[in-house]
Amino acid sequence: MEKKYGVYLCKGCGIGETINMEKLKPRVSGKGRVPADIIKEHPVLCSPEGLELIKNDIKEGTNTIIIGACSPRVKYEEFDFPGTITERVNLREFVAWTAEPMSSDAQSLADDYMVMGIIKAQKGDVPEPNILQDLSKTILVIGGGMAGLSAALEAANAGYQVVLVEKEAELGGWAAKLYKETPRQYPYDKLEEPRVVARIKEVEAHSGIKVFKSSFIEKTEGQPGLLDITIKSNGNSESMRVGAVVMAAGWKPYDASKLEYLGYGKPNVITSIQMEEMAKKGKITRPSDGREAKKVAFIQCAGSRDPNHLPYCSSFCCGTSLKQAKYVREKDGDSVAMIFYKDIRTPGQTELFYKNMQNDPGVLLTKAEVTGVSDAGNGNLYVEAENTLLGEKIKVEADLVVLAIGVVPATRAPQEYLDGLTEAQKKGDDAKMSYIESTPKPDFILNLTYRQGPEIPSLEGAYGFADSNFICFQYETRRTGIYAAGCVRQPMAMADAADDAAGAALKAIQCVEHVAKGIAVHPRAWDTTFPDPMMIKCTSCKRCTEECPFGAIDEDEKGTPFYRLNRCRRCGTCMGACPERIVSFKDFSVDLVGSMIKSIEVDEDEFRIIVLACENDAYPALDSAAIKRIKLNPKVRIIPVRCLGSTNLVWVTDAFSKGIDGLVLLGCKYGENYQCHFVKGSELANYRFSKVKETLDKLQLESDRCQLMQVAISEYDKLPQMINDFVERVEEIGPNPFKEL
Amino acid sequence: MAEKKKVLVIGGGFSGLTAAVETAEAGSEVIIVEKAPFFGGRVTQLNKYFPKLCPPNCGLEINFRRIKTNGDITFYTLAEVESISGQEGNYDVTIKVNPRFVNDKCVGCNACNEACPVEIPNEFNFGLDKTKAAYITHNQAFPFKYVIDGKHCKGTSCAKCAEACKYDAIHLDMKPETVKVNVGSVVLASGWEPYDVTKLDILGGGKIKNVITNMQMERLAAPNGPTAGKILRPSDGKEVKNIAFVQCAGSRDENHLPYCSYICCMASLKQATYLREQYPDSKARIFYIDIRTPGRYEQFYWKVKDDPGVTLTKGKVAKITEDAATGDVIMVAEDVLAGKKITETFDMVVLATGMVPSTRASKIPGDISYTNEGFVQAASLKKGIYAVGTLKSPVDVAKSVQDATGVAIKSIQSSRRS
Amino acid sequence: MAEATVIKPDLDFVKGVIEGGGESLKKCYQCATCTVVCNVTPDDNPFPRKEMVWAQWGLKEKFAGNPDVWLCHQCNDCTAYCPRDAKPGEVLGAIRKQTIKQYSSPAFMVNFVNSKAFIPVMLLLLAGLLSAAGTFAIPDGEIIFSKFASTHFLQFVFTPALLFGFAVGALGVKKFWADMKKSAGVSSGDLGGSVSATASEILGHSKFKMCGVSKDRFTAHFLVFYSFVALGIATALGVLYIDILHIESPFSLTGTGFPVKIFGAVGAAGLLLGVLLMISNRFKNAEKVGMGSYFDWLLITIIGVIMASGILSWLTRVAGIATVAYSVYFIHLVFVLSLFLYLPYSKLAHMFYRSAAICFLKYSGREKQ
Repeated sequence: MEKKYGVYLCKGCGIGETINMEKLKPRVSGKGRVPADIIKEHPVLCSPEGLELIKNDIKEGTNTIIIGACSPRVKYEEFDFPGTITERVNLREFVAWTAEPMSSDAQSLADDYMVMGIIKAQKGDVPEPNILQDLSKTILVIGGGMAGLSAALEAANAGYQVVLVEKEAELGGWAAKLYKETPRQYPYDKLEEPRVVARIKEVEAHSGIKVFKSSFIEKTEGQPGLLDITIKSNGNSESMRVGAVVMAAGWKPYDASKLEYLGYGKPNVITSIQMEEMAKKGKITRPSDGREAKKVAFIQCAGSRDPNHLPYCSSFCCGTSLKQAKYVREKDGDSVAMIFYKDIRTPGQTELFYKNMQNDPGVLLTKAEVTGVSDAGNGNLYVEAENTLLGEKIKVEADLVVLAIGVVPATRAPQEYLDGLTEAQKKGDDAKMSYIESTPKPDFILNLTYRQGPEIPSLEGAYGFADSNFICFQYETRRTGIYAAGCVRQPMAMADAADDAAGAALKAIQCVEHVAKGIAVHPRAWDTTFPDPMMIKCTSCKRCTEECPFGAIDEDEKGTPFYRLNRCRRCGTCMGACPERIVSFKDFSVDLVGSMIKSIEVDEDEFRIIVLACENDAYPALDSAAIKRIKLNPKVRIIPVRCLGSTNLVWVTDAFSKGIDGLVLLGCKYGENYQCHFVKGSELANYRFSKVKETLDKLQLESDRCQLMQVAISEYDKLPQMINDFVERVEEIGPNPFKEL
Repeated sequence: MAEKKKVLVIGGGFSGLTAAVETAEAGSEVIIVEKAPFFGGRVTQLNKYFPKLCPPNCGLEINFRRIKTNGDITFYTLAEVESISGQEGNYDVTIKVNPRFVNDKCVGCNACNEACPVEIPNEFNFGLDKTKAAYITHNQAFPFKYVIDGKHCKGTSCAKCAEACKYDAIHLDMKPETVKVNVGSVVLASGWEPYDVTKLDILGGGKIKNVITNMQMERLAAPNGPTAGKILRPSDGKEVKNIAFVQCAGSRDENHLPYCSYICCMASLKQATYLREQYPDSKARIFYIDIRTPGRYEQFYWKVKDDPGVTLTKGKVAKITEDAATGDVIMVAEDVLAGKKITETFDMVVLATGMVPSTRASKIPGDISYTNEGFVQAASLKKGIYAVGTLKSPVDVAKSVQDATGVAIKSIQSSRRS
Repeated sequence: MAEATVIKPDLDFVKGVIEGGGESLKKCYQCATCTVVCNVTPDDNPFPRKEMVWAQWGLKEKFAGNPDVWLCHQCNDCTAYCPRDAKPGEVLGAIRKQTIKQYSSPAFMVNFVNSKAFIPVMLLLLAGLLSAAGTFAIPDGEIIFSKFASTHFLQFVFTPALLFGFAVGALGVKKFWADMKKSAGVSSGDLGGSVSATASEILGHSKFKMCGVSKDRFTAHFLVFYSFVALGIATALGVLYIDILHIESPFSLTGTGFPVKIFGAVGAAGLLLGVLLMISNRFKNAEKVGMGSYFDWLLITIIGVIMASGILSWLTRVAGIATVAYSVYFIHLVFVLSLFLYLPYSKLAHMFYRSAAICFLKYSGREKQ
């Protein structure tokens, strides 16, 4: 595109009172190398008259527009000029609302920001989406339990082809093994027939759903829209292409044999799963002698909420035991069901079910820490407990004990296996590696051929659940196009799993639709740019393949990285990682930001500090501080970046060799509860920076001049002070010694 | 495939926003109707989310950006749905848009706020401070456009704001407008209200100054709240060093709300961390019936429980009085596991008040069944109408998001069926 | 570490409580609101929360020697504020009934006395007994009740009946006291001091004053209590006059039984007012605390009938309507007799057990300071 520039300066909102436009214009024209006559000003640029000014120029052929006005976070509808390169320069928030009016500081701030804006527009280009060919919009659903069946139906009913792969010979999963379901409807007093039966029929009859039973995914290669999968069924392999995946591989009950202290192993101690099977068969009897059970004890949190077993709550066991207490009571009016709980957890309206069940005179409940189960003779058992409501230390006789067994996600075993291998490899512990390899390989779910591994990577503190790290976005896995649903994601009740599956199905649909349009998926769900590496300069150092948070880059046989574009979320981490600086986006590149940095006017007597700000949290926080009119040291220049992960070390060199005195990398919080939507942006930036510290020190460039700050969007009130303090520290260190050079 | 119809989302809180953006990004056009002047609903009032302790405005900012960059979403604020008629694939909806008295020319410069002579209780901060009749709730509000409170504004006779506005953005003579739209499906996401604390008479709700609600606690801890994030007690602005949380304040209670409000246990555990972080020498004590931290939330419970400055006591608080001389709060509970009735004094007490579905007070037009407590009975909804999140049962943000994302696919099915 | 207590749920006990007016028992989810709003419970091992869970589990042995169910004055603050509508106040009433059964011999009497089916039978039985024993022909002339039923006959029947009631009660208290000592592990204390403190507490009705939602219970119980005292004095004076001093019956309409009549009249009026107040309180607080159990209403009814029949017989006697006066008087006698005989098996037995419990609380030193 032949660029025809237009530069527009708004004088509203205090900008006109802060910046001398007459001084600004020649500077902009000079340094920005644009003709002076294309720089126009208006008292209120966002007013209809102001916009008219721009639109008229567009009619005349202007296609590259630099607007010096307010933050791009506001007036986005007014300053929307499709088909153009429009660069918003934030003179209002970053100059008019934070600097002294008509000061030389304000003036040079405006100079620098305008010039950087022009450079960005010069270096950037209008993005054109890269749409790959032969895309499939079929949705693969792994798992035929309640979640999987629901996901398949939802996607198929929305008009998408679905392939459902179930490991077992029959559909239905655990749901099909239930005798009854806990009440789903107000007033929560009746047990319901399992819905799964109808759902299985519906799935099997649906023309849009192809079901594979006794099958598993042998291989998944490619990328969203182009996922080539191999399904192995009864020894035969079948290959097909799908667009996106709902992973509803479900859960396993916790291994009850580890609960010997709760009596598991004794004939009359069973799990809640066995209880369902028994109830379904008709009678609730004691395995030891087949006599009907009259005094049934339910032990809650059998394995769950226990640091030695499962350190989480399995969410549905309280409801399940209350339901099973009803089985006991309905089948025999003289029987007693005793429930020993840590806390009764019937959240929301399910509290009403608890209330209803409690009212049965034969259902007895107490808070208790069950310490053991011992023999009481005759096959009967004593439940021994402490800290109960009935006394400090008690034992109660029962003729059947039911352990409310917890949930282990199907993803846990493969994750542990793979993490074990990775760690052993990292430590160079060959003995451990070969030991792990000698153990039976757990059932893998996806069998991805991705460079970063065959499964969804484990999330710290998730205990094997393939959960999202984000509260606001429940389906953000680190493998684009693969969305977890049901108990593989979190422990959840069956009704919740069905709803959850609908959500995952929606995300899968979104993914195939976005891929078809060449747009990124969440969180940059508007972005049509894509990484475009100049492969000729690639040295195959593999930093990009390792650091890509989404495993979007694979390597060919020679070890040369190549993009699987549809896995990419456009964060630019590869761009930051690449030592050869070969990765660029149409509107974002190493050169582009580097040129912006280099364009900053450096004066021998003045300190200059650059803030590279993550545009997701840090930039809005800086904006918000400005809206509050909190002063920011005018020596600071803010440059937004997609994510701190995109920070290339050459920018540090660019800045310091140019004579910039300090550099702040402003990004999201990292660590266990990381807030970065690109997983490790600020952490990576910090890591990369730690590598050059030594070099900086060697160059007698104090590494303290560069600092990474973690900030949350809500901390805008503290942010200016944090930056101002940093400026002071840099001033104490003194000017950049390279300034004179 | 039939012609794609639009989807109407009623409510611009996190559920509604999620349903809207997820639907739009899957390729359907969406209209959002929000009753308040700004989006974000309850979560904008929160300081941090549990269990990550991250700020809600982060996710909101992303969703606002998704709205800004998605041409398929239109919205109305200060708007209410007056009628819904028709059937799946073809619902005629009448929307009443109340006047904002501020038009799109508003630049957000704050001049009107400075000029406005009318002080009003700040509802966004649950009355903990005052704001002006020309206001914006907080610095990250969306849309970033001021609003004039029609109830309190003195109108054209004052017009000081209009005079102060350099951008011709204020028109005090704006009238309500009616908009009619035709959509394929409707998503109900009008959210929840905190339970009326004044009904909790034995807990001093609304009467004792230093007995506040959990939502007020969020505002007290929020950097954009009335105390800029300093946890100070309302009566005298004293730093709060000794706090008690009263769980199930109104929830799980036949006299008030018979259901469990789902979020309160996690909310109080979280709020205990606010205090503990701010004042290392502080103490927090949580009185509960059952601690409900389902799933991985258990880990958060353990973390807070391990803090020596936090005590958890099983036993419900049922008596709260005020020490008139000091403003301290005296409360009585039974420590159930110790078998002792205890009386303790605190600087401030937080009532973990529960959720009331917005549909308890204001019903949605149309033939919809509700439970005795005002929740939508989902099974009674006509085809093509879906209820999300807290309208069906109390849930947290994570579950609301899950539900709203799921509803997006159902609304798409509806808008493409027919 | 202490040996674990073996818990043996007794569903029959649970059913007994449920059927005896504690049908809301199972709704309790152990939040402890009740113990907090209760103004009369000690702070140490407070009630009624723990009693609720014991009763849910049918742990009847926990109630043996448990003074707490008797410390409860049924103010029903707990019931008013109970979030689950489990009505602890009513449940404790039902548990008390079970306890009465435990301590009053023969125990089956409790069932009889408190069963709807048996009450008419029991009353008829008493009426029959009285008729058989006495000469209940309606005499002519001035209405004088002693002509209808001789004073000596009445003394002969009613005095042993009352003594029986008290004896059963005293025996029950003896067992109860021993059980309380055993279960609290208390072997000695200041009995004299405790008794006098208990007497002063009971006379002053100080615990009743603590009631919250049903404050009027204080007035009602106070009236009923002191009316009984007045009536007791009147009766005792009657005995004194007739049997010891051998002077004119103080009960005649024209005679000079001045103080006796005053006590009698004041007692009657007070008792009537008190019972009416109790009934009205029940209705007034029905929404908050419920209407109460059969157990409660039985006692209220018996006392009500006694008062109504007593006053009515007096009025008709004054009015000279002989038939009515004598028949009503007969009814009055039947009910008084039933009150005496059934005393240790009815709700009235609380006078024994509650007094003992209060006394034990002081004796054991557990009372709230």
